[in-house]
Amino acid sequence: MPTILITGASRGIGLESARQYAADGWTVLACCRTPDTASELKAIGGVSVHALDVTDIAAVDGFARSVNQPIDVLMNNAGQNMRPPRGLGDMDYAAWSDLFAVNTLAPFKMIEAFQDHLRRSDRKIVLNVSSVMGSIADTSGGHVAYRSTKAALNMVTKVLAGDLAGDGIIVFSIHPGWVRTDMGGPSAAISPEQSAAGMKKVVESAGAGASGRFFDWDGHTIAW
Amino acid sequence: MKTLLITGANRGLGFDFTRRMAETGWHIHACCRAPAQADGLQALAAKHDVTIHALDVADFGQIDALKTKLGDEPIDVLFNNAGIMETSQRTLSLDHTNQMFDSLDEDEWMAVMRVNTMAPLRMCEVFVDNVAASDRKQILMMSSIVGSIGSNQTPRWYHYGTSKTALNMVMRNLAADLKDRGISVVSLHPGWTQTDMGGPTAALSIDESVGGLFKVVETLTPNDSGRFIAWNGDDVPW
Repeated sequence: MPTILITGASRGIGLESARQYAADGWTVLACCRTPDTASELKAIGGVSVHALDVTDIAAVDGFARSVNQPIDVLMNNAGQNMRPPRGLGDMDYAAWSDLFAVNTLAPFKMIEAFQDHLRRSDRKIVLNVSSVMGSIADTSGGHVAYRSTKAALNMVTKVLAGDLAGDGIIVFSIHPGWVRTDMGGPSAAISPEQSAAGMKKVVESAGAGASGRFFDWDGHTIAW
Repeated sequence: MKTLLITGANRGLGFDFTRRMAETGWHIHACCRAPAQADGLQALAAKHDVTIHALDVADFGQIDALKTKLGDEPIDVLFNNAGIMETSQRTLSLDHTNQMFDSLDEDEWMAVMRVNTMAPLRMCEVFVDNVAASDRKQILMMSSIVGSIGSNQTPRWYHYGTSKTALNMVMRNLAADLKDRGISVVSLHPGWTQTDMGGPTAALSIDESVGGLFKVVETLTPNDSGRFIAWNGDDVPW
C-alpha cells in the first residue's frame, strides 16, 4: 500500500486527512509537535504517530533518517496564522519571522529531507497546504504576515516543481478551503471531512501537469 | 518642492534613480549603509539638494532614528529600493548555489527576508504619515521578476525569489489598506540590469533600466496602485 507523510496531523485538516487515508488502507506517518496530547490522532487505527516540530531542522533531518520506506505523498500541512493578525502600525516582526519559518521554510526543508523517499516511491507527490489568502492577485487588505508567508510558499512550490521535474516528483500548492477548524473558526464554509476528501481526490488525479500549480480543495486552479 | 526618501541610494539602480531625481530639482533624503564610502552620492550631494543618511534597513532602530531626524516633513515618494541577494554581498555570479534546492540555510533566508520583505513594511509603518502629508503620496517597492510566480523566467534562487514574492504581497496589502488615505503603492521590476547584483552580462544598462523606471514613476497615477510594473511599463505576472 502507498504511504503518506502528514505534518500537523494532530487536529483539523491534517487529522482528518490521516483518518481518511488510513481508512483507505494507506500507511500513514502522522507528525505533530506533541503526540502526548494528540488523543484523536492516536485513536485512529494503523497510523504511526511521530513527534516533530517542523521548524526544528535537525529534528526533521533526524526523522528523515529514521524513515526507511518510500513516501508516496508528502503532505506539508503544518501551518500557523498570526494571532491576533497584525499589520501596518502594529506589526510584530519576530512573530512574522516565526511564521515564515513554519509556513514557508519548513515545507521546503521537509522536501529536502524526504526527496529520496519520494524518488523511491510510485506516486512522488508533494502537496503544500497553502491558502487562497496567499493569492497575490486576489488580495485585499489585512493579514499581511500570513498572506506573505503563503505567497512565498507558493513561490517555493513553483520553483521546486521545476527543480524536481527531472525526478518525476510532482509538487503543488493547495487551498484547503475555508474549513471549520481551530484556524478557520466555527462559521467557516466547509467541514474538515469535505476539505480532506476534496484534497485527496486532487492527489489521486494529480499527474505531471499538476506540478507547479495552485489548486482549490475541489481541484479548481487559483490565480497566483 | 518635491521630496524623495530612498533606501539603498549609494549604487546601482538606487544611485542612478537618485541622480535623475536630483537633477530635476527634487529634495532627496538618500539612505545607504555606509555614507563614508558612497563617493558618487557625496559628489551628487555637493551639487544638488541631496541629504545623505546612514541607514541599514535591517536595523529597525535606525529607521526609527531617521524618523526622529525627518520629523513630520512630507515625503512625496518613498522608494524602498534597498535589497540584497545574499548577506555575503559576494559580487554577482548567477550561480547562487547557497540558495538553491538542497542547501537550506535558514539564517541566510531569514536575513534576506528581513531586508527585502520586512524592512519595506517597517519603512512604511514609520513614514506613512509623512507620505500621507505630501502631494504625490507614492510608495515604490523595488521588486523583481525573480519574485514572479507566474513568470517562466524564474531562476532557482529560493531566498531572493520568495522574499520578492512576499514583498509583492506586502505591496498589495498596503495598496488596499492605504487607498483611503490617497496613497498609491506599486512594485517595480527593473529588468535584468548591469549592476553589482545583475552582473556585467545582464541585458540592460543601468541607464535603460532607470530611464524606464523614471518614466513609469513620473506618470504613475492612483489607478496604478497595486500593480507590479516592469521598467518598460508592462505588467509583470504575479
